[in-house]
Amino acid sequence: MRACFAILFCFVATSLVRAESHVTWEITPPVCGPGQPFRLQVRIESDDVLGPANQVGKEIKPPRGMALRFSGQVFRANATEATLNFSGVAPEEEGNYVLPAFNARFPSQMVLVPAITLIVSSKTGYRKEGRARAELVLPDRTFFVGEKIAGGVVMRGSEQETVTGTFGLECEAEGFNFQTEGSSFTQPLQDGHGLTKTFELTPIRAGQGEFNLSGIMLVNTGDRISSLNISGRDRPFNFRRKLTVEHVPETGRPADWGGSIGKLEITPPDLSNRFPEVGEPIKLKLTLVGEGNLERIIAPEIPGTDTWDIALASELRQRRSEGRRTFIYTLVPRLPGDLKTPAVRFQTFNPDNKKFEAVEFVSVAVKVSGNAPAKVELVTIDPSAKVGTPAAKMITGLLTPTVAAGVKGVAKIEPLAASQPFWLSNTGALVVLLLATAVISVVGYFAAHPEFLIRRQARGNLRRARAAAQDAYRRQDYAAYARAMTQGLRTGAAPLLKAEPLALTQSDILRALPTASPTLIEAIFLAAAGEKYGAKDPRQTIAEDAQLQAMLNTLEAQL
Amino acid sequence: MSRLLSLLTLWVLGATAPLLAGVGEAAYERGDFVGALQTWRAQAEADGVTAELLSAIGNAEWKLGHKGRAMVCWERALLLSPRDPVALAGIKHALGAGGTDRPTQTWSENYAAFLGADLWLILGALGFWGTLLAVLVPKLRRQPMGDWTQRILITSATLFALSIPGLYGAYTLASRAVVRRTDVPVKLTPTVLGEALNGTAEGDVLRTGRKLNGHTYVTSADGKGGWMKSTELEPIWGGALPVNLDQPRAP
Repeated sequence: MRACFAILFCFVATSLVRAESHVTWEITPPVCGPGQPFRLQVRIESDDVLGPANQVGKEIKPPRGMALRFSGQVFRANATEATLNFSGVAPEEEGNYVLPAFNARFPSQMVLVPAITLIVSSKTGYRKEGRARAELVLPDRTFFVGEKIAGGVVMRGSEQETVTGTFGLECEAEGFNFQTEGSSFTQPLQDGHGLTKTFELTPIRAGQGEFNLSGIMLVNTGDRISSLNISGRDRPFNFRRKLTVEHVPETGRPADWGGSIGKLEITPPDLSNRFPEVGEPIKLKLTLVGEGNLERIIAPEIPGTDTWDIALASELRQRRSEGRRTFIYTLVPRLPGDLKTPAVRFQTFNPDNKKFEAVEFVSVAVKVSGNAPAKVELVTIDPSAKVGTPAAKMITGLLTPTVAAGVKGVAKIEPLAASQPFWLSNTGALVVLLLATAVISVVGYFAAHPEFLIRRQARGNLRRARAAAQDAYRRQDYAAYARAMTQGLRTGAAPLLKAEPLALTQSDILRALPTASPTLIEAIFLAAAGEKYGAKDPRQTIAEDAQLQAMLNTLEAQL
Repeated sequence: MSRLLSLLTLWVLGATAPLLAGVGEAAYERGDFVGALQTWRAQAEADGVTAELLSAIGNAEWKLGHKGRAMVCWERALLLSPRDPVALAGIKHALGAGGTDRPTQTWSENYAAFLGADLWLILGALGFWGTLLAVLVPKLRRQPMGDWTQRILITSATLFALSIPGLYGAYTLASRAVVRRTDVPVKLTPTVLGEALNGTAEGDVLRTGRKLNGHTYVTSADGKGGWMKSTELEPIWGGALPVNLDQPRAP
């Protein structure tokens, strides 16, 4: 009987359980401008299969001024959820408009959708009409060298002209470094009619500079060219602004400021092991987040203490866009017990209030086990140093400089290789040496081969004798002609016979010129020196001038 | 009277010199890096720069956040003294904690850094002249090489051969510069509006190449090449203290 009641109770209970439904909704954009189209999506999740909704549009009573219609349902068979889509246009007046609760009727059940509020505000930047325009978003203040300024170009469209893209962003600014993060950083505006292109600007020198930014946006004008093509056009934009840049002030600058400009925030420090042994290295990970030039921050040096040896082990490299910077320190406990990691402070310069501010990573409690070494050198910084030996050097950080007094230095560090006198003297010495070598070689060569000079001298004498003969020929001085011609023949033949010119006779000339006419040679010799022996008139030899010249030419060619 | 005055001046100078010597270090020790820098700069302008002084100035500049100026000082200190511990520690710290980049030295550059560029050039010149004279003099004298001449020839030729990688390493070491501005882009072309390929940070050391249109071809530590405005760089050789880039140049 009890079993029968239990079965009955279960049957009645299951039949009395109501299916639970969960309703959520979303309006895009969340805040609408006056007259702006919006989309409402109502999601219903139920325990039962829902199926298609019936007559949803008839149930809704939108407030005055708002247009709203049911545009369809995302329908899946045997699904326990349903998505109802509505399209609407916001009223022209600002304010909060409440869409009353309504019933969504499904074949298996009826779900009550609660009241939905639509916020209409003119501050959204939505424009129903008007041309697309670009606006430069850049803080209006004095900037500081090295800071990272986040800027952007907001390209606002309207119902008539929608901005669909941008390209060719160029910046011409002396003294600034301009950087964009690629096309992925072009984000659509909430109203769907425009785009935002972000950039980063970093001043690199102090003073007043002009910032000139230009680019082109793609504007869809909405005119249909064909069924598949909608007309658009490129519309350029240009901004010009004077910017003032200063150095971060040195007055009031903390000694441990590491070049950070911006607003830093800290995350809880991350320790690799909270229960290490004495001498066991642990990693302390410190992550900074926030706005500013995080990538420029110099990690602070943490000096070792009696309880810790500390070294800056490494740093996690992050992309510029990540907006975070992580430093990892290696901590080595020197003594056992309940210790605390040192607090680490980062100084930053806030460009808005022009003041230095500090953020601090708090200490983390660590329980160190193990035994203390027999002798602990206080404040040795090198964790790898053996106990009892003084630390020879720091493993990180800057060494303390020592400057000797009265030591004369150099006015300019220039390599000897840049010294003109060095190269001039070396080149001069090399040239002199090579010239001397060349001269000595030439002189030695001619000394070893004297025939070159003898023949050269003979050629000169032969030409002079020929010229003298031609001169005598023009003057009809027969005796002088014969003497000059004879001298020429002797001079030309002497080097060939290796003899002195004056010692040569007619027969010697014939040895040098075997093809010459002996009669003619004899005649010319007689004419030259025959006067004293009562020789014949030398006129007839002049008549043979052509043959004699040919002999001289033959001799000259052999020299 | 004038002699008395000059004696008095000498006495005053002698008495104040040791005081001035420790002023910069004391200021540095108590964290007054601006004061230390001013003292050391004045000392450098009066007496010229030494490796110690440049290293100290580099440390003070680093503490003040001037990464580019600090790297220039440390690199120049290493030119004067290749094993200056303060400069070596400073550069190591800048590469590790400061996030700066520096090209890894090639074997020839490490070899060149062993003695310094000037010493390599002097050794090379001695080797060259020794070899040349040992070859030429016997020829000019028309005599066979003697024992001593042969020893000189072998020694000089060895010296010259050993100096060649040192000279090459010194040349490539000299072709470097430090980025002096913040976030200077490396551009594809040597033009004002050239497309930015990648960025460099202040204090990065780059290898430099030819110059064109006010730009210098640079190669970064990771081997990427491009053009950078020459005014944003400061060569390591050819100066003493870092140039003040904020001061407008004389027309």
